[in-house]
Amino acid sequence: MSALAPEPAPRRLPVPRRRRDPRTLATGAAVLAVLAALHVAAWIGAEMDLGMLAEGWHGMVRFVSEAVPPDLAWDPVVKDGLKACLVTLWIGLLGTTLSIPFTIALSVLGSRATNGNAAVYQAARGVLSFLRAVPDVVFALVFVTAVGLGPFAGVLALVCNNTGVMGKLWAEAMEEVDDGPAQALRIAGARRTQLVAHAVLPACLPQLVGLVLYRLDVNVRASLVLGLVGAGGIGFLINQSIQEFRFDQMLTYILMVLVLVVAVDVLSSLVRRRLAP
Amino acid sequence: METTTTPAPATAALTVRGLRKSFGGRTVLTGFDLDVAPGEVVALLGANGSGKSTALKCVVGLVRPDEGRAGVHGADLLDGTRAAARARTRVAMVFQQIHLVRRRSALDNVCAGALGRLPITRSWSPAAFPRALREEAMGCLDRVGLAGRAHERVGALSGGQQQRVALARALCQRAEVLLADEPVSALDPSAAENVMAVMTDLARTENLAVAAVLHQPELARRHADRLVGLRDGRIAFAAPTAAVTADQVSALYVVDQEVPA
Repeated sequence: MSALAPEPAPRRLPVPRRRRDPRTLATGAAVLAVLAALHVAAWIGAEMDLGMLAEGWHGMVRFVSEAVPPDLAWDPVVKDGLKACLVTLWIGLLGTTLSIPFTIALSVLGSRATNGNAAVYQAARGVLSFLRAVPDVVFALVFVTAVGLGPFAGVLALVCNNTGVMGKLWAEAMEEVDDGPAQALRIAGARRTQLVAHAVLPACLPQLVGLVLYRLDVNVRASLVLGLVGAGGIGFLINQSIQEFRFDQMLTYILMVLVLVVAVDVLSSLVRRRLAP
Repeated sequence: METTTTPAPATAALTVRGLRKSFGGRTVLTGFDLDVAPGEVVALLGANGSGKSTALKCVVGLVRPDEGRAGVHGADLLDGTRAAARARTRVAMVFQQIHLVRRRSALDNVCAGALGRLPITRSWSPAAFPRALREEAMGCLDRVGLAGRAHERVGALSGGQQQRVALARALCQRAEVLLADEPVSALDPSAAENVMAVMTDLARTENLAVAAVLHQPELARRHADRLVGLRDGRIAFAAPTAAVTADQVSALYVVDQEVPA
């Protein structure tokens, strides 16, 4: 073959016209229109007013300038803040751990992979939905009436809320497990509880533990909000400093919260990465 | 060559008569009879959609047949009674996808074969398994040549080794009938050969009645005592391996216009 021979042109074929269903386009346009209408309604409903923000920005500046520099006096500000941060952490930790037994029971009953009884399944799902629907602050107020102001009420509130959220997440993790191994054991004569213990749970254990760590992260932040309604911890101190117009102390506490939240987040994502299957 | 309905031979471990199943108006299996004697290996051959796997799934109750009966040593498997559910534990099944719990050890997976005869107090966790069962399971693993890997996670074993663990689990189930749904389709040729050899060896030494759906006719010829060919849901032939001609086998895979993609 001669090196001078022209390179053969690659074979080309006309691309056939792609048939688009006009209904797909119409559906897309309708979805976009509905989304746009929803956002307009939301803008009006939320009383959005950029003009007011532009006029009133001096107020924000004054507020912030009162907070800077933060009050870094060791006693009572920083010392009390550290103690309160620890309490916040304890509330989040116990709220997560103590909810695990309830979560196990409700997620096993509320997952199609582990419960074939439709009535019990719906009941368990109903309980989980209820626990999620009630805001944790409301649970906290209810428990405050029983055990008084303090971290204990916060822990109880978190247990209720976390059971609702984590129960749903666990039930879904169980439903995503490949049902082949369970089927194989069912053929071998295994009963339903045995299928849960020997096929479903071992297959999704890393996901379940990962969700616990994720919830620990969320719960530490939630216990902060609970502190605002009197459940103790750093949230309580933030609320107190605002009421006393000590915005410099407030800033100190917020910086401490920042460190706490970032630390828990880093730790839990570190462990979750190690767990990834 | 058509088979006619015959009474079950007194020697058969597994007896299947007149299975029929249709999905959404399409008949995938009809007039399916099968006898497998203890110690015998029967291979089911046929193209995709010929009804082979459906037949096995009917026998273990994964699919409910429209018609037909199946029994182990005369005990009915499909009449829907408690006795039938108990009788079904005498049938074990292994799958192309293997279906072991990958995060558990080989030994724990083999022990799980015995769940059907354990009370919940001895089976809520692998830690509760009786010592006698763990020792029996070690014996089963040894039978498939994997006693040395007992504590390894199943997910860390090769495909061929995993399928051997599944066979050990069937032994630990104390099954008399072993159904295998494309047990070696996902394995490389040497692992496939090895798993088939272990399976036929178990049939001989443990007196298991083995019925295996296979996709490689050559593999079936080397290991099975009898071949059953299915085409479009019907039995095309059922005969001792030596009596089946190559033409009969290749006719199973000829595509005609009606076969859906």
